[in-house]
Amino acid sequence: MKNSIYILFAVVAVIFSSCNPSPSLDDKTMLDYGQISYAVPDSLNKHLLSAYLPNPTPTQLNTPVIICAHGYTATTFEWDEFRAYANTKGTFYVSQVLLGGHGRSYTDFKKASWEDWQSAITWEYKNLSDMGYKKIYLAGSSTGAPLIINMVKNHFFDQYSLPKGIFLVDPIIVSSNKTLTLVGLLGPVLGFTTVDLANGEKGHWYVYRPQETLKQLMALIDLTRQDLEDGITLPTGTYMKVYKSEKDETADPVSAFMIYKGMRTSSGGNIDVDLENSNLHVFTRLEGRDNITADQRALQQKVFAEMEAKMNQ
Amino acid sequence: MRKALFTAFVFLLFLPLLKAQTAIPYELAVGLRVQKTEQLYWENGVGADFTSDFLLQKKIHLKLSYVTSRIGSAFLSNAVRQDNVIIGADWRFRSDKDFQLFAGLNTGFFHADMEIPKFDVLPHNSMLLQLEAGLFYKFKFPLATSLSVGYNVINGDGVNIPGTLFPVYYQLSVFYYINK
Repeated sequence: MKNSIYILFAVVAVIFSSCNPSPSLDDKTMLDYGQISYAVPDSLNKHLLSAYLPNPTPTQLNTPVIICAHGYTATTFEWDEFRAYANTKGTFYVSQVLLGGHGRSYTDFKKASWEDWQSAITWEYKNLSDMGYKKIYLAGSSTGAPLIINMVKNHFFDQYSLPKGIFLVDPIIVSSNKTLTLVGLLGPVLGFTTVDLANGEKGHWYVYRPQETLKQLMALIDLTRQDLEDGITLPTGTYMKVYKSEKDETADPVSAFMIYKGMRTSSGGNIDVDLENSNLHVFTRLEGRDNITADQRALQQKVFAEMEAKMNQ
Repeated sequence: MRKALFTAFVFLLFLPLLKAQTAIPYELAVGLRVQKTEQLYWENGVGADFTSDFLLQKKIHLKLSYVTSRIGSAFLSNAVRQDNVIIGADWRFRSDKDFQLFAGLNTGFFHADMEIPKFDVLPHNSMLLQLEAGLFYKFKFPLATSLSVGYNVINGDGVNIPGTLFPVYYQLSVFYYINK
């Protein structure tokens, strides 16, 4: 009995002494290190429409503009290809927001809440609305989606120009990795988790995921799921469409079903959902991935064209 | 002749069991079950628990239950309607006492109702495989209650298994002994 108590005490001591460990940040090519930053003025001025087009003409104010929000641990890089598409078409503008705490350093990421992540979207929306843009759209990939849904739920748009439409690409309401549901319990012991990035993704995504941010992610998606269960109504005249990969090892495809059930247009109708024959998470971002197929490229272009058509309807 | 021999063989095989059933008491309890999945739904339903002396002196309990979000989180809400049919067996520690501990293994079937044909391409059926452990208390009157925590060994992965099959759940059950 006495031995058992000693063993139990030793196990507890080991667990607590290893609580909340931090990763070794010694690779300067990693976004986590802090040397590469998307939050510097040069980068922000290049990606935010309010910065790169500060004095729009009346014609420009009548051109559709879409604010694109990336996912957890990502950067504006996630929407670069859509921005490039927009540049070739010239029929709409793209404003790529960098979520709070993202694209900076491990330390900055660790201390940011999901409300901090969201603040970048609300800040740019407010700017564009105040500048007089009349056709504002939003696009959210992965975690960008629940951040936008939360803005709808909280009636954020009521005080600004109402959005014409919202596009969600591989939204996450339920994580595919169900172990994350235990992050509240296991998080302090783990400290952080690590992901493998393809060579082309290095420097654009964080490699390390502090348990504090995983808790923030789970808090956000759990809250959004509950809000959807209660029902959320879109602002008057706002269109919504969800594009979801049928197989997705990051955002469980059931997320699309939950959004479909939980969201209603202002007239009480259903939103649009397309389930795509894809196994990529955020299938609209192909840059940086290994081994892209022609089908994946075609799907990306099809969705970009659909979004463009909707915005210019 | 072969048929008669076979019948006699079967009779002899089950004779000890039949004797045990008539000579040794058994316990059959039915009741209500409340289940909360970690970070997901309330799912409620009914359950039954059976044991007898021939199950290693009531150390083994056989269980059957049905819980659903239809009378839980999905009642008057947009939560996913899902059903769990579970059979299982527990090993009871302190089986002769009022306060017991148990650990067991369950299996069964999980179904999530996708409602709209468009979503039928998503995985919505799965086998269940669960580990469960908990506390069980028998009152002096013919009621008992149990509190347990379970782990779904098979849980959603975004590819082949329904996304609302989460790993950890907690259960509270109240049973009534119908043969006491």
